[in-house]
This record gives sequence, structure tokens and C-alpha cells, in this order.
Amino acid sequence: MSGENLLARTDEAQLYRDLSRSNLVTTWKWFAGAGILSLVLLWGIGVFVYMMMTGMGVTGLNRPVFWGILIVNFVFWIGLSHSGTLISAILRLTHATWRAPILRAAEAMTAFSLMVGGLFPLIHLGRNWRFYYTIPYPNERGLWPNMRSPLMWDAVAINTYLIGSLTFLYVGMIPDLALLRDKSEGWRRKLYSILSLGFRGTHAEWRRYHRASTLFAILIIPVAVSVHSIVSWDFAMAKVPGWHSTIFAPYFVVGAIFSGIAGVVLVMAVLRRVFRLERVLTPLHFDNLGKLLCMMSLIWGYFYFTEFLTVWYNRNPEEWEVFSSYGKSFLPVFLLMIMCNFVIPFPMLCMKKVRRSIPAISFASFLVVVGMYCERILIVTASLARRNDPFIWHNYFPTWVELSITAASFAMFGLLYMIFSKLFPIMAISDIKERLFHTTERAFGGASVEAIALVEEGEEEGSE
Amino acid sequence: MSSFVLIGLFDGVEPAAKAGHALRALPLAAENITSISGVPLPDGSVTWDPRPIRFSRYVVVFWFVGALAGLALALATYLLYPLITAGKAIISVPPTLIITYEVAMLFALLATLILGAREMGLLRFRARKVHEPRIHDGKIAVCAVVEPGEQEIRARRAMKTAGALEIRVEEGEL
Amino acid sequence: MKHRWGMAIDLDRCTGCGACVVACSAENNIPVVGEDEAGKGRLMHWIRVNRYWEEENPGARATYLPVPCMQCQRAPCEIVCPVYATYHSEDGLNAMVYNRCIGTRYCANNCPYSVRVFNWYDHKWEKPLDEQLSPDISVRSRGVMEKCTFCVQRIRRVKDQAASEGRKIRDGEVQPACVQTCPPGALVFGDLEDPESAISRLFKDPRRFRIFEHLGTEPHVVYLKRRKGAGA
Repeated sequence: MSGENLLARTDEAQLYRDLSRSNLVTTWKWFAGAGILSLVLLWGIGVFVYMMMTGMGVTGLNRPVFWGILIVNFVFWIGLSHSGTLISAILRLTHATWRAPILRAAEAMTAFSLMVGGLFPLIHLGRNWRFYYTIPYPNERGLWPNMRSPLMWDAVAINTYLIGSLTFLYVGMIPDLALLRDKSEGWRRKLYSILSLGFRGTHAEWRRYHRASTLFAILIIPVAVSVHSIVSWDFAMAKVPGWHSTIFAPYFVVGAIFSGIAGVVLVMAVLRRVFRLERVLTPLHFDNLGKLLCMMSLIWGYFYFTEFLTVWYNRNPEEWEVFSSYGKSFLPVFLLMIMCNFVIPFPMLCMKKVRRSIPAISFASFLVVVGMYCERILIVTASLARRNDPFIWHNYFPTWVELSITAASFAMFGLLYMIFSKLFPIMAISDIKERLFHTTERAFGGASVEAIALVEEGEEEGSE
Repeated sequence: MSSFVLIGLFDGVEPAAKAGHALRALPLAAENITSISGVPLPDGSVTWDPRPIRFSRYVVVFWFVGALAGLALALATYLLYPLITAGKAIISVPPTLIITYEVAMLFALLATLILGAREMGLLRFRARKVHEPRIHDGKIAVCAVVEPGEQEIRARRAMKTAGALEIRVEEGEL
Repeated sequence: MKHRWGMAIDLDRCTGCGACVVACSAENNIPVVGEDEAGKGRLMHWIRVNRYWEEENPGARATYLPVPCMQCQRAPCEIVCPVYATYHSEDGLNAMVYNRCIGTRYCANNCPYSVRVFNWYDHKWEKPLDEQLSPDISVRSRGVMEKCTFCVQRIRRVKDQAASEGRKIRDGEVQPACVQTCPPGALVFGDLEDPESAISRLFKDPRRFRIFEHLGTEPHVVYLKRRKGAGA
């Protein structure tokens, strides 16, 4: 039962070497990969500058589709950022014993996808060079942002979430940084010394550290929920048929967690292979995440059906035109979405065999990521393309400019992750150690099972 | 104010716990003994943490400070730039609530980071703190502030009896 | 002196000739984008003439609906702008400040009438066409939104003149370019604060309707319904 799921808990030095392989060895493959991603990113930056200098006309946008896949990317990346922090916070709070190897990968994913996603509202501005008009500071222009605009809610919320998830990632890393400081030398030692803030691991430090991470987990969950609600309100506040819907906030939160979990699975599968973490990221973790993904797929299907059903039955002409366009101009996107989000992954993920097979679950997750991207294309562009007035209806297809910038965003995410994996512990070493420390093998009749000591903190409150 | 710290290195929880309990029985005050370990240890297993953890309540305070800041940010718009748009009231409540909430959460998160680090003692940059890097190889260090002389000898003996691999003395703080 | 400007469009009179579009373009420095861009849905016109086909061939008939900015009293475009580039003026107009606009295009998304247009490029006026640009109006750069202003420059001019002569503005004295040009006189413009004005009477006409009235935007542009019957 155990065996494969457990690391050798005798040799901590070996454990350290295994878990921080990403830090210790840099192969030519890393440089090659980083080089390719940098080229794609540079290309994207070049295209962005071209777009900025020429005008937004180089995109496929038109009237009425004023927002295109640049905004789709924004929603997509913010959505992807969701599960990271959220999963890790929920797993921490519920003391899920299998969480340790997932935490860091998930939290880093959140931070980086937020960084990428947060750029898109700026990229898509008509006059990007005037972006600072939205920052509230006393200025000679006598201009102050309009806090009634959902875009300002967005700016404030994403700012909170980005800072929150960066600190969450950082605080989670402090004990590992202390470990790296003691194990490394040269410039790395200097870097880790500064970053670890002199954390040593004294009894008092550990207890307060635990309290702080619990607090972070408690605080970050409502922030995560609010951020994607506000992203949905960018749409739901507008007088656009297909956008103006009360279900949007919970629907977006669910969609974000759904795509986020799929993202975590993909990232974990890549890390597992690249950094040979087979002994840490076991099929058990994929199985558990697979169960979550399966459930989210079901909830997503339920939400989508609910939204569709009300419009279908009501036949409010404005909304019905949007939804019926899914069967016409937008049919390929619609089919891709339904297949990738529900029809294929749901039955797949119901099977334990699939959840425990890393290629299979990675495939299902990939489908979900594609499906959720399609969902956002439908939400953003289809609703605009079938606005209230049929005379101005116009379809939309992105140009090479938008596609280049989209590709660059994926490259940027990959590059950030690659650099992170070289500089910081990609696995939560201390959490893994703690988990092993609390685990013993216990004879249970003829079988041997894992017994985990759960340390309940919090009773000491009364002693103050 | 550096003092005289005795550091014993132990090969696991059991001997470290024995040493911790023996030092406490010397008697040494709980705040003068601590353990340094690569993993968190339950309170009382090796050493005790006599000080209550206080910063969480200040996080709540900062949540309210943040709420005020958020309120000010939203109201600033309405007060500095009193434009009536779309027949809406100059001060509109729901956007104010959203901005207030987000800024409050931001303050609470930053307060957790800063106050948490402060209470962990991480912001004492100038202090010379005792440390033992070998904890990362599965060892546990038990440290005690002792007075040179008889107390030191008794503390050394207690550690030795508990099975210390190594005992040394450093000037520094816990 | 308080004003509330309004426009009435009599669909019985409108022939769909498009003179209003041309007059507006000449008055407001509106660039001509060419066939390709127009096909992409990037016309810059501040007023457009919607054409809807009634019935199938044969017997197909077109109905025309000129659509300028509705100058809504509860304008959805105004609240969503993060930088107050569009706001409500004292005369009840939706004013647009080009210099403030950063081009989020949210206002255009939130306009149910889709009358806002975006400068996808910097537009050029070939010589000698640049000579005909009106000096009263700024030429908009790429990346900003623009829309019908009810020819605010004409409103200003008349206001100044009336103020210097110490009198009230006469009914019909202010005429946006589209109203001035409309050959069948389908467009009527005036001050709703003046109960005697032609526009005030038309706002009480039983044929009056507003487009997308159920959205609650309270437009200042009303339409007079077509009467079906002989000759209609």
C-alpha cells in the first residue's frame, strides 16, 4: 500500500538532493528551452510595440466586437491563477495530508499566471502609454479614476490578489529558503540569506510561522473568490445580452477553479518528468486532483446547463440571438468547448485508471484548458458579435498580431516558471519533510499502513 | 544584549526531548530554552513556547485600517472629482463596498506578512542569533541560555545524559 | 440658462438617403476609412443609417433608421469609463474628452446602440483634403473613442452669440449638421427645456418611441413611428 508513495525517510540529505534537483543542475536543455521561450516572448513584445505604434487596427477587432482574444487571454490567465493559491489554501486549512508536494507548484503557477494575465488589460488599451491615468494619485491633470467603473474594481482586486499570492508563495518558501541558505554557497547563499530573513527553525519561529501561514490561507480564499467574481462583473455589469447575468460571478469562479486545477495537473506532470520527481509526485496526487477536476467538470456542466436552459426556455430575443449564434458562426468553438470541458473529460476522470495514469490525466487536463479557453472566447466575443442591434452584427477572427501576443503570453509564463525553478525550491521541501516526520508505518493485522500524527494547534489560546 | 548560549545537537526527537525536559527541570525558564529543527515540533514535545501568539489580533485591526483606507480611496473619487455620470449618485455604495473590501484584505495580508515576520523575530536584523545548519540532516538542536559557572555545568551534564552528539557554547541570542 | 437638447427623427419622412452621414462627416472631421476597413466593421461615422429588410424577395422593402448617439440621460457608457473620459454635461449631453481617453473601449461595449466608434489607426487626410478639416474640432488620434456630440461646437457658438446679444436662444437656432442637411426634414433638433419648441411638441407626439426603451437608458433621441397605409 505504501512503499511507492513514501520517500526514504532515513536520509534527509538525499531527500534534499532529490527535491532540489532543479536548483542544482542546469542542463543544456534548460538553456535551449529558455532560449526558445525567450525568442517567442521577444517576438510577442515586438508585435506588441508594432501594434502600439500602428494602432489597434492591426487586430481583428471591429465594431461591435471591441474586445477580442486579448481580453480572452486576460480572463484565461486570471482563471488559471485561481486554483493555485485556492487549492493550496484549502488543502492547508483542511490538513489534507497529501498536499505537501503540490503546494509550491500550485502557488507559483498562481503568481506567474497573474503576472501574465494582469498585463492584458494594459496590452489591449488603445493608448497603452497613458495607462497611468487609471492610477489614483494626486496629479496635475486633475484626473482621478472613476471607482464606479468595474475596470477599477478589477485593478484594485488584481493588485490585492497579486500581492497576496506573491506573499503567500514567499511565506510558504521561507523555511525552504533557510534550508537552501545553509546548503548552498556563493551568490546563492547570499541571495537565500537575504530572502530567508534569518529564519532558523526555532520552536518559537515555527509556531508563529504556522499561525501566519494559516492566516494567509484564511485570508487568500475570500480574495481569490472576489477576484474572479470581479473579473466576471467586467462583463456582467454591462448592458450586453449574454453578459448581463447574475450567474456570472459564481460561474466564473467555478470555471476558474476548473481550469486552474487542470493547469496544476499539467504543470505537475511537466515538473515530475523534467525534474524526475516521480517519487514525490505520485499517482496518488494526480488521483486526488483528478477527483477534484471531475467534480468541477460536473459543476461546470451544471452551471452551463442552467444558464443555457433559462435563455432557451425564455427566448428573450436579445439573449437568444447570442445563444443561437453558438449553433451558427461559433459552432466549432462551441462544440470544442462542450467536448473538451464535459463530454470527454468527465467520463474519463470518473475512471480511477485514468486518474492514476499520468499521461491520461494530463490529456484530460489539456482538454479542459482548451475547453475553458473556448468558453471564454464564446463569452467575450460571441456576445459582442450579436449585440442588440442586428444591423451592426459582425463576426470576429483574431489576426496574427493577437495570436503572436497570445503565444508570447504562454512563453512568458513558461519562462517565468523555468527561471523560478532554477532559483527557488520547486517542491515544498519543508512541508514534505514535515509530512514524513509525522508519518509512521503501523502494523495493522497482516498489513502495514501509514499512520499520521496530526498536530492540533490552537488549544494554547486559553493560556494567554 | 547577547548572552551565553549552550547548544546541544541531538539525533532525533527522543533524545532532544529528554534534554529539553531535563533542562526545564534544572530549573531553566521556558523562554530560555528552545529547539532548532528542520521541521516544526509540537509544543511541549521538546521545548515550550511560553509567549502567546499575538499578531493575529493585530491583523484584524489592520483589516479595519485597510477598510478605512479603501473607503478613503473610493470616497476620494467622489469628493475630488464630483462628476454626476449617467444620473447615478456621486457617492454610490456598491462600488465603495467592493473597493473597501479589497483594500481591507490587502492590508490584512500585508499585516500578516509584516507582523508575522516581526513576531517570529525575523526583523531583528542586527541581532546575532544562534544557529545550527546540521538540523537539515535530521538533527535537532536544543539551545539554552545559561549563566557561565555552575548552571552551565549542570546544563551540559543534562544534555550529555540525554545523548547529545555535540555540545558547544556560542555568544548570541535565541 | 439651462438647456436639455433633444432630437426627433420622423421615420415617415426619412428616405434613407444618407445625407446626414455625409454632412456629419464633413462637419466633425470624420475620417473616411475606405472599403476594406468598412467591410471589417470599422466605419467611423457618428451617425449611421440602419437598413432593415422587411419580407423576403419579391416584395422586399427596406426600412431605414438613422442612429446617432442617443445622448442618454442614464448613459451606460459613462459609468464604466475608468478615467471619466466620457461624462454628463450640464446640458444633458454625453461629452467625450479625447485627451483623457485611454482606449479601454468599455464604453463602446456598454452602449446598446453601438454608436461609439474607435480610432483603430491614425487617420490621414490626403492633400488637399486636409484643408477642409474644421478648426473647431480636434482631429482624434489612434486609440481613442469618439461619437456624436450633437455638434457641440455649434451649440457653443449659438450660446455665445445669444449671451453676447443678451437674449435667449431661439427655437431652431441650433442645428446639428445632420439636421441642417436632411432633405426631407426628418430630423428635428431643439431644447426640451423650452416648452414651446418644436422638439418639445414632437416629444409629446403619439407616434413617439425610443429604441431599446426597455433598457432604461432614457435617450434624448426619439423616433416618430411610420404610419402604415396608402403611400407609406
